[in-house]
Amino acid sequence: MPLAEIARVPEGASVDPRGEVTDAGTFTGDVPRPAVIAPQRASHDWQPLAGASLLERLRVTGRPRLKADPEFRRELREGLERGIRYQSPGGATGGTDVDVAPRLSAPVLVTKDRLTGVLACEAHQVAGEFGERQPTLAMACGALMDVLFRQLITVGGIDDPLDDGLAALHVDDRQHELASWIDRLPAADRIELRTELERQVQGLRRRWPRLEPAWLPRTQEAMRVGLAGGAVRLSARVDLAIGTPPEDEASVALVEIKAGARRVEHRADLHFYALVEALRSIAPPFVVATYYTRTGELDVDPVTEELLAAAARRTAAGTRALWNLARGAEPRRTPSYLCGRCVLLPECEPGRTRLAGPGAGRGRRPKGRATA
Amino acid sequence: MRATQLTRALVAPPTVSVDETWRTHLRAHLSSGIIPVVERLPRGEQLTVTLPLLRKAIAHPDSLADDEVPFAWKPIFVRRSLGLAVVDACVSGRFRSPGEAAGPVASEAVAEWERTGWRTYHWEPWLAGLRPGTRALVLAEAVSWATVLWASLDWKALGQRPQLGGADDQWVCPAPRTVRLKGRSELRVPLVAGPARSSEVGQTPAPVALVSVSGGSPPLAWSDELAFLALVAALRSPSRPVPARVAGLWPDSGHHLIVEIDDEALTAAADRVMATVSTAVDARLSVLERT
Repeated sequence: MPLAEIARVPEGASVDPRGEVTDAGTFTGDVPRPAVIAPQRASHDWQPLAGASLLERLRVTGRPRLKADPEFRRELREGLERGIRYQSPGGATGGTDVDVAPRLSAPVLVTKDRLTGVLACEAHQVAGEFGERQPTLAMACGALMDVLFRQLITVGGIDDPLDDGLAALHVDDRQHELASWIDRLPAADRIELRTELERQVQGLRRRWPRLEPAWLPRTQEAMRVGLAGGAVRLSARVDLAIGTPPEDEASVALVEIKAGARRVEHRADLHFYALVEALRSIAPPFVVATYYTRTGELDVDPVTEELLAAAARRTAAGTRALWNLARGAEPRRTPSYLCGRCVLLPECEPGRTRLAGPGAGRGRRPKGRATA
Repeated sequence: MRATQLTRALVAPPTVSVDETWRTHLRAHLSSGIIPVVERLPRGEQLTVTLPLLRKAIAHPDSLADDEVPFAWKPIFVRRSLGLAVVDACVSGRFRSPGEAAGPVASEAVAEWERTGWRTYHWEPWLAGLRPGTRALVLAEAVSWATVLWASLDWKALGQRPQLGGADDQWVCPAPRTVRLKGRSELRVPLVAGPARSSEVGQTPAPVALVSVSGGSPPLAWSDELAFLALVAALRSPSRPVPARVAGLWPDSGHHLIVEIDDEALTAAADRVMATVSTAVDARLSVLERT
């Protein structure tokens, strides 16, 4: 697994948010320069990347882009399918039952959330899928920022963040309930939500670079890959894809937007996106990134063969677990950072033991570490 | 498949053709298969067979008996027609990319409706009344849809300008209950004529290739589904050519597949239509029994 690169401005430097890109070219650009930071604007305070510097951070990864390689793509797919058939998180099962697709009424659906959930704790994943998910302000903020980001990319501006965002959520069948919940919020919560949205949107307006239409930016791009004769379906929807489709070399950047705190599992989500894109396209993306609208942080991972192979191993392990659960296997209970908010906790011995253990009072969620 | 490869395969001269006698045979074959099935329906009942119905009849036959949801405009209902208008504007050279074209094309459509009262796309009044956030979502859906189509083909290599969208192909089966076949393709690409049969020389207009864009992944019977579009186009009018091939694009899964249209492909599509009609009639009868 390659060392993760994190878009921190080097110590003792800041960026010029007013920077503009003068030459559109193609998105992949082949601009050989690293992000340029005007020395006269240097300071000792960390500042998020903005404008041209942010764009360049996405475009110039410092690593060679992968070539379109049908042989590698075939090996990746076959390796993944072998992994699904013979691997499980707890060890080899040796079964080949994934081949017997008709035994399940529907393909096993593998999304980033299901993958992360099942690998953390199968029991929590099963309980969470069938339980009703109570909306929260954080959830509302995330959904609203997703549609507002889409609006900014498409029309270049946002008028009233809460009004614009809510109007968009109301016409989306998947978000209609959340939109109604927001409508019913008490005044204080509504003000809190509005304030946070305005703060994040202000940051977006100030920092997010203008994307040339020629780079073909598209939002909420759906990606699907069928595996094991259709018995398994990998499914992803990325917030932003930029770049013309590849011809001979990786040319697309995938960007995920997060309105909440930075979490280590977001990197695994990105790698899953890279894997799905690599399997469905002629070439993998050349970069995957998460942009945090709350702080302006940008995590960037150049896509390498090692990254894709690791993502395939993780996906195979999670898919196998999801497959077993779909066939009625008893979900395994694994202590994890999810225990504190798990509905199964009262009856879950491993979870209670974890929470009663040393350091139980401290935050147990793994954090992504920023490196300069 | 790269855009250049797909375009080359799409515009290659036809290698096979379907003659008029086979078209006549197909009409008779379909009518004889459909009539006894739809006679089971009460008078006044109608059935419209579309590509989505064909898919549903295999993938989710139970859902055919579900209550129909009343129509209400949503962004995803606009994305195809606005997306096609956007691609058309790019093909014509007015704009360099879908991202540039979507806003102006949508605004022009609304302005034209406000000026004349004529709804070219039907969604103009709905779009005109939207708040900025919803309007942006509509445009975003259309841009994403159009960008995929725009990037899938080498437009300069198409030769003649293709027809984007346009009226659906339709054929009404002469049955005691109305059975209408409707085929909707995104592109009609004129082709250079291949070797014609002697009986067709001087009579047949230039052949075309159709392009269909779908969500998700290609189903197992993808070739029958693509051939269905050619079947409806072939049945529609004897004066129009039978499409030489149909390309299917499934952008979500990155699949580009092509079926060459010959007697066998059309027969398979016709058989699929008859099976679908049978499934749909059973579902309709079960609903009528319930009520």
